[in-house]
Amino acid sequence: MGLEDSHARVISNKQLFGSLYLMELACPSVAANIMPGQFVHMEIPDLQASVLRRPFSIFDRDEDAGVVEILYQVVGAGTRAMSAWEPGMRCRMIGCVGRSWEAPFDTKRALLVGGGVGAAPLNLFCQELIDNDVDVDVILGAQTEGALVCRKRYQDACGKEPLCSTDDGSFGREGFATVLIEEALAEAERSGKPYDFAAVCGPEPLMRAASTMLLEAGVRCQVSMERRMACGVGACLSCVVETTEGRKRACVDGPIFDAEVIVW
Amino acid sequence: MVSMSVDLGGLAMKNPVTVASGTFAAGREYADFVDVAKLGAVTTKGVSLHGWEGNDAPRIAETPSGMLNSIGLQNPGVAHLREHELPWLAGQGATTIVNVSGHSFQEYVDVISALEDAPVDAYEVNISCPNVDAGGMTMGCSCASVEQVVAMCREATARPLIVKLTPNVTDITEIARAAESAGADALSLINTLLGMAIDVRTRRPLLSRVVGGLSGPAVKPVAVRMVWQCSQAVKIPLLGMGGISTGADAIEFMLAGATAVAVGTANFGNPFATMEVIDGIRAWCEDEGVQDVREIIGGLIC
Repeated sequence: MGLEDSHARVISNKQLFGSLYLMELACPSVAANIMPGQFVHMEIPDLQASVLRRPFSIFDRDEDAGVVEILYQVVGAGTRAMSAWEPGMRCRMIGCVGRSWEAPFDTKRALLVGGGVGAAPLNLFCQELIDNDVDVDVILGAQTEGALVCRKRYQDACGKEPLCSTDDGSFGREGFATVLIEEALAEAERSGKPYDFAAVCGPEPLMRAASTMLLEAGVRCQVSMERRMACGVGACLSCVVETTEGRKRACVDGPIFDAEVIVW
Repeated sequence: MVSMSVDLGGLAMKNPVTVASGTFAAGREYADFVDVAKLGAVTTKGVSLHGWEGNDAPRIAETPSGMLNSIGLQNPGVAHLREHELPWLAGQGATTIVNVSGHSFQEYVDVISALEDAPVDAYEVNISCPNVDAGGMTMGCSCASVEQVVAMCREATARPLIVKLTPNVTDITEIARAAESAGADALSLINTLLGMAIDVRTRRPLLSRVVGGLSGPAVKPVAVRMVWQCSQAVKIPLLGMGGISTGADAIEFMLAGATAVAVGTANFGNPFATMEVIDGIRAWCEDEGVQDVREIIGGLIC
């Protein structure tokens, strides 16, 4: 599937909690073609002094309606501008970019771990796994209860509560998501239903710790790498990730990588 | 019908627009957006003899109306370019300028020698990259070393030889004259301006290598000024670049004395930027009653 620079129109844009926002955009080509874990490279047209686009994963899509959702956190000038976009605002987005999550075809049980806004690129993947009759457990970590903005969506997809941790203990287990991973791995061993595959997205220290634990437990694991990005199509070599096979581009060689090749 | 073709020091271009080296790879990554045969030329990413790893990430940082980069000329080496990229470009019908990099004078010559029987239309000798320790900009800052490396490359090839200059010098016209006297067929300018940006919250530099090259609209007035100065200092044609994102930007460089122009950072924000610049130049000519784009070159009134 080739890349396209598609027109998109904002349908809704709302603050969910703190710096976390959810935007719905009409963009039929992306809604039809996006694969879980891929991203779009989005123009920020109202940011006059900005020369670069911004990459965002697709949180959810409605293919029939031609609508995609982007879950984003305001961290800089680009996302700050986006947070003020009203319905009707138009922008362009290059899509669908990058390598998607790929579980082995015979996966029976999978573990998804999302830290903070890193829960966003796992949602479509969760739906895909459920559609393929995979038994999915979801672990979500966030700073505080209100920041667990994806909880309901994952609950709907899996038909069960995600396992949650918060840094401040306001919801679920107090502390980091890694404690929950340890417990999930122990349960899998006890029950004789091991995880065949795990997908982790979040802050790099979490991805590093989580993938180390999972690989040590013999679970195949992928991670979603984030880098500052310029072209978003594989040309400029800005977004490189250190791997055992040399420096790879996060945009088109990733953003999804097998965890064992990452040099943290 | 506007005649759009230009001659850049022996390189026939169907229109005056190429891409700035390093912003377009060897064109294939942009093939979904741009028919590379429609460009005046494709200028490929800098290539060294055996390839380089490049610098650590973060390699870029956005700054007002521009960006800093410190890629460090990561490339897989000349054999890879020869075997994978140049045949593809030739198959597309592209005109190809290969940007040549080296850590030593001899490496530039070796890269050129490795390409002499490959489908290459011109070389751009990169003595101006600010992001490598050896070679690059260090070679492009003194007249003596510029003369030496250009003379060596000149001996290695009869193909059009374009020398890419750094703006990070006291007097760019001296360097331009040195390159001309050593046998350059054309000059390209400007490479990026050495810059730096700091995250005030962490008190750390935004780039891992601390300093990097500034590009984008922020540098355009500096680039136009240097093209204008060089056009008065040398007789060989100039390939102008630095912040070009519209047809009007390109016309500005041509009025200042550029025979051709390159689109760089603008490709990142708009993958169709090159095509829009070509269309914009043609539309300007039509509006102004200019029949031949070459009439614009050096047409500054002052």
